[in-house]
Amino acid sequence: MGCSNNMNKHAAKVGWLLASPYLIYSAVFFLIPLFWALYLAFTNWNLISPEYETVGVQNFLDAFFSPSVRAAFWVTYKFMLMFVPIVIAGSLCLALILHHLPRWKGLFAVGYFLPYLASGVASSIVVKGVISYNSPLNQFLRDALGWDIDWLGSPILAPLVIALMMAWKFVGYYALLFLSGLESIPKEVYEAAEMDGAIGWKRVWHVTIPMLYPSFYTVTILAVGLMFGIFTEPYVLTGGGPEYATHTWQLEIYNQAFEKLNAGYGTAVAIINSIVTFASIFVFRKVLEKWGGKHGWE
Amino acid sequence: MAGSKRWRVGLLYALAVVVLLVMVFPYLYMVLGSLAPWNEVDRKLIPSSLTLRSYEWLFQGGEDVVPRPWLRAFFNSLLVTSASTLLMLVTAVMVGYALSKVKFKGRQWVHNAILFQMFYPSIILLIPLFLIVRYFGWYNTYWAMIVPKAVNLWAIFMYTNFFRSIPDELIEAAKMDGAGHFTIIRRIVWPMSRSITTIIFLFLFMERWVELLWDMLVVNNEKMLTLNVLLAQMFGPYGGYPGPMYAASVLLTLPILILFLLFSKNFKEGMQFILK
Repeated sequence: MGCSNNMNKHAAKVGWLLASPYLIYSAVFFLIPLFWALYLAFTNWNLISPEYETVGVQNFLDAFFSPSVRAAFWVTYKFMLMFVPIVIAGSLCLALILHHLPRWKGLFAVGYFLPYLASGVASSIVVKGVISYNSPLNQFLRDALGWDIDWLGSPILAPLVIALMMAWKFVGYYALLFLSGLESIPKEVYEAAEMDGAIGWKRVWHVTIPMLYPSFYTVTILAVGLMFGIFTEPYVLTGGGPEYATHTWQLEIYNQAFEKLNAGYGTAVAIINSIVTFASIFVFRKVLEKWGGKHGWE
Repeated sequence: MAGSKRWRVGLLYALAVVVLLVMVFPYLYMVLGSLAPWNEVDRKLIPSSLTLRSYEWLFQGGEDVVPRPWLRAFFNSLLVTSASTLLMLVTAVMVGYALSKVKFKGRQWVHNAILFQMFYPSIILLIPLFLIVRYFGWYNTYWAMIVPKAVNLWAIFMYTNFFRSIPDELIEAAKMDGAGHFTIIRRIVWPMSRSITTIIFLFLFMERWVELLWDMLVVNNEKMLTLNVLLAQMFGPYGGYPGPMYAASVLLTLPILILFLLFSKNFKEGMQFILK
């Protein structure tokens, strides 16, 4: 009895000791900033002055009527509308290609994953070059088709360029998710479908895609969540322009807090951002689960 | 019938290769842009000759007008990323082991706290985190870039799940032989998790290496900037020097690429564990 009691004490000591890096880290870099943020959001502090006062919900009211916050709100959904369908269709196609390759599957999977390694800054430099005025692409469009396109000056093309860049980066990663989904579909399902006459594209549409529901679910939620955290690409490529067309939440928070030094207001915007993120992802989850439920997925 | 099947497989490979070219194209464009004569950068797809001028320009620290310590920035990135990644790995193994193999009161509580925190939007913490780091006097130091990124919740989560798959009997047997927990981690658990460690290491290193917002906030001394931040800041001012910008991009991409290709042997199994 005494021995086991000692053992338990020893285990508790070792357990807490091993977990201590996490506990200390979370206290200093999670709990304190969390409560500080909840306080800051109700002040008018400017990051420098020693004096400031609490202003109630003024920051939240200001944010609600601010054109740049409203822009960030809508721009996120615009990015979603462009990015999510492209990246899902693209990664599903890549996964189908990989799945049906008889050989070198791993080699191609590694190749498709390479864009994920790119820094957003480096890929922005390449994109800036590819769409610069005298680039081979624009020369070709001008000479052959007579199109003179100002890619980053257009409120539709600028976000599309960024959405495509991000799709390029993530398509190979999401393809791996779809691939593991494809590999987990049992052969019997295909055999049964073949008996019913489902072959070729019919089989893809009526058997493979509904069976992939768990992968669709994961990829969609990941892709939607990603759209609330866009920073690097618009920061270096467009600065949020033209006319707020690529002005994301993170850009707005960064501008307010660290360019205009409105720390209190910036924190309030960050809180609004996370509420909107939570709510949006919640709605997406419910919609997807309803769709899945209709097709026999719990 | 056999002929039609062969034809279809051929088409599939052709498609796979075309997709591969699309995925690799920006990297090729970057490398060619860094080696092209300066009057051909962004004007010709295939340069008429190759030159190292952009790299020389970079290693000399740029033009007299806007000199920048590019090599120092590369070194900063390497130091910050290695230190941060190493700490994230060590802490994740420790905490993961505690949560999966040490039975102590409060374990479930710690586990739930981690799960809760993982889904918490970190953007709220950005401004107060900056204030804390400034309060510690870490503004413009390596500490600011390393310590707040010394623990990674996702890595803890991954190791906890992996260690659970190691049979308890193995640990008990080692304890019978008089081994303590730290010996068990070093001698048994750590060697067994080599394949998952490579993939976790890769992801952590990669994410830390391309961090922009945080590194940009806590450092403004030119000598302390990471390569990613320096490159982002020179986007406008170096607009007239696309060649060196491509060379710097190559410098930024190469370490990750080499690391990834070194570890890509375990890539598929490792990913399968992570994506589960």
